Amino acid sequence: MNIELINTVNSATTRELMNRQQMTQHKHQGFTASLIAAGVFMVGMVFSSPVLAQDAEGFITGKLPSPFPAEQVEAGKRVYFTKCVWCHGVNGSGDGPGADRLWPRPRNFNAGTFKIRHTASGELPLIDVDLLQTVTHGLPGSAMPSWEGILSEDQRRDVLAFVTTELVKDRSWQDDEFEELHILELEKLAAGAVAPSAESIKRGSELVVENKCIECHGLEGRGDGNAFNLKDDWGFSIQPADWHKCWNFRGSRQDAYNVKNIFRTFSTGINGTPMPSFADNTTVEDRWHIANYVNHLCERDADVDIAGGNVTDEIAANLFAAKPRGIDPLTDKPKVNFVIPSKFAEGELPKDEHDPRWYDERWDKGEGRRIVAIGGQITHKPRNFVNRIDDIWVQSLYNETHVTMMFRWDDRTKSVQEGEVDWDPYEVNLKDYGIVEQEPGGSKFDDDGMHPDSIAAKQTSYQVFNDGLAFQMPIKFQELPAPRKPRYFWGDEGFPVDIAKWTADGNLMAYEGTGWDKDLEDRDDFTEKLNLVKAEWKDGRWTVIISRPIKADYEADTYIELGKYIPINFFVWDGHNGDVGRKMGVSAFYYLVLEPPVPAEAKWYAGLAAIGLVIVEGWVLTRRSNRRKEQGNS
Amino acid sequence: MTWLKLVEGYMPMQMITELAVCILFFSICNYLLKKAGIGVPKFWAGILVWCFINLFYLKYRIYPPIPFSVRAIYGTVSACGIFMWVSGSQEEWLEFKRPIISVLDANNAFTKVLRTALLLLLPLGLGAFAYSSLLPSFDEPIELRTVHPAPPATTKVHGKTYVLQTAQQPYRIDTEGKYDPAYSNAHIVDQSMGRLMKDVNSSEDNPWDPNAKGYIKHVREGGEIFFQNCHFCHGDNLNGRGLWAFAFNPIPANFTDAGTIAQLQETFVFWRVAKGGIGLPGEGFPWASVMPPWEQHLTVDEIWKVIMFEYWHTGYYPRTWD
Repeated sequence: MNIELINTVNSATTRELMNRQQMTQHKHQGFTASLIAAGVFMVGMVFSSPVLAQDAEGFITGKLPSPFPAEQVEAGKRVYFTKCVWCHGVNGSGDGPGADRLWPRPRNFNAGTFKIRHTASGELPLIDVDLLQTVTHGLPGSAMPSWEGILSEDQRRDVLAFVTTELVKDRSWQDDEFEELHILELEKLAAGAVAPSAESIKRGSELVVENKCIECHGLEGRGDGNAFNLKDDWGFSIQPADWHKCWNFRGSRQDAYNVKNIFRTFSTGINGTPMPSFADNTTVEDRWHIANYVNHLCERDADVDIAGGNVTDEIAANLFAAKPRGIDPLTDKPKVNFVIPSKFAEGELPKDEHDPRWYDERWDKGEGRRIVAIGGQITHKPRNFVNRIDDIWVQSLYNETHVTMMFRWDDRTKSVQEGEVDWDPYEVNLKDYGIVEQEPGGSKFDDDGMHPDSIAAKQTSYQVFNDGLAFQMPIKFQELPAPRKPRYFWGDEGFPVDIAKWTADGNLMAYEGTGWDKDLEDRDDFTEKLNLVKAEWKDGRWTVIISRPIKADYEADTYIELGKYIPINFFVWDGHNGDVGRKMGVSAFYYLVLEPPVPAEAKWYAGLAAIGLVIVEGWVLTRRSNRRKEQGNS
Repeated sequence: MTWLKLVEGYMPMQMITELAVCILFFSICNYLLKKAGIGVPKFWAGILVWCFINLFYLKYRIYPPIPFSVRAIYGTVSACGIFMWVSGSQEEWLEFKRPIISVLDANNAFTKVLRTALLLLLPLGLGAFAYSSLLPSFDEPIELRTVHPAPPATTKVHGKTYVLQTAQQPYRIDTEGKYDPAYSNAHIVDQSMGRLMKDVNSSEDNPWDPNAKGYIKHVREGGEIFFQNCHFCHGDNLNGRGLWAFAFNPIPANFTDAGTIAQLQETFVFWRVAKGGIGLPGEGFPWASVMPPWEQHLTVDEIWKVIMFEYWHTGYYPRTWD
């Protein structure tokens, strides 16, 4: 049995580095390797050694590490086969049982290609720094978790000894004929870093255009540039980072807002992907400007409109002034608050996202908009193992008659379904129409060396449906016996829900939901009362504003009252992920609260409390002076 | 911020131990200072300890943060404790009261100013506190959910009824229908922090050994199912910190915690896996849990195998009737 594997050009000359930016896919020579009876792949290798005439700015030439002792490799094997094999596979080819339902796909160690490094582009990583940090902190935005607190540091080093000695097969840290290490002196450079400032941020915004970063990462850095057809060295679909979600940067090392990590990735590139190293064509100073800009684009308390990347002095100043969001140490994602406050707005409700009342002083900075965390819908078939949308930002305002909600979320692709589909919009059981979930696969190679049955291979070939967003609130929530709620997934029979669903073809519909597997029921008369204020996809972000009456039909829709906690769930579809029907992203329960005005009696009660305390004080003083008199007398 | 780990999640023993160490430290300091002749008055020591416990430790050291209402209870309890400490004897009580009395009596210029300032500031402060607490504020509601509700007597999965009292994990029993002690956590050992297989080169210990059969082969098959279905929420180390753990509430169960599968019978776990969140009784909040009813996705054998894997990987042994 012959198997052809794609090989990678593991290192690049300076010229190649610059060309890589334009490359969408490498065409490599592969050669035939034979499958040995024991089941071990012999992976061929074709690579050239890095030719760097002199170290790029900020790099020094390092030494190759000495081999690990055999006992340590053996100890690491034990760790590997307990913890790692399930995704990375018996041969370290990134084809364990979990691999086919993961995107990004687990690393194939065989070629020695590692993403996050201090070493120059194409070079092997530093085992005791780069790989150890990866194992310690994990790779956010992928399934690779942090192993700190689970494996001791010794165990983490042991497993690296095994992986680098036994599973990296095409290259070797001991191969001094072909391998060199040029190491970024990150700590030293960080000591002289360009401090963030409005000027530095503005300069960075110009440099990302000059250096063509925006070609892939998009005008506003939401990863929506030349995003869709990018492939890694193995031919799997990958996507450029969204700079607004620094907590998902693979190299963020559980320290999302640390500018050093961005500087490092920008200086050394991401091996195996089209992301090159910019060490040769940018100065260290310019790299700090870019890193400062990218770091300040990451979502912070204020929602700064960066106007398609045309960063003016004022925008730069606003970006600089914004403070990082709190990161939850349990999840390494932004902290979630399950209460979505809706503030009273005088007069007509906003027509777009620029209305100043969205940025009202009455909200503490950043408290107006809430992040709603999204996970894949994995409860019922067809399950969604890859949710390309992992959060949406929600804000709400209300006036005497209406409540309006603004939803903004990053989506690299604008998806509008072209042509009719076979089912009606209210239908939810789409299995008969061929909408099924990803099979576990089995990680089989095909003739082109691909795993065609894996999610990572399929990402660019789904039938495109509409992007969409929906939210549900209970009908007659006033009568729910606490803490009972209708089920998060389109309600249940006893407790139906009011669903408002928007799709990118411009429809906004009202439905009644009575269960995950029940067709939705059209609510035509309420659909007429829903108002799609705005729906726009721009530079990798949807802005959708929906308003609805506060008082609806008590019996059939959600009849909102001020000051009440109204359970609300959100659903989101990414058309280019093949999301449709139950294949979608879902949220946990949140609460929408229309904040009532301050009660007039608050002042009175406060005054009464103060007066009461004055009386108590008088009593204590009198008693004390009486006591002293008594003592004086006696 | 990796240099200082907060007390993360539900860790009562860590919390109590840390507090006890702190109090011990304070006591030693207090004793040494007294010996040195610069003893701290009990009035100030009491206030200091109370503030440390309630305004510092419980507020900033624990994550996720403890709700105010719960901290108010701790505050009251610790205040009672401190009062008992300061009122141990009549002299101690007098000593404790002395600063208060001296301000009340206001015998010198300093205490006079202090008394006037306190008399004015206390009512103002109380008024401001009353006003701010009457403003509409909307904290996350606290709902108490039962994590391990009482199971039903029987459960019907794929057309077959299982009596939870008598059903058995088919992959853990020997030919006589008895739980086989060989199929236990003996194959996974604690080593430092990580629980690892005993011998990677033994086909009895390593599920990935080409010659693995029986128990250990079933573990591997269960693991394959786990990493195709379950790790998204329960995590690669079964600690409940999967990819989507941050998106869901209730959060996924942490199997490595001694309070979950380690204290449950396998049939209970079977029922929970097969019926999922939607199959919970009311006190388990079936409406909120995204746990799939796995009977919709897996066969009965696959469910038993994945349970087998969870016990193997965490090194726990299920609770049994005997």
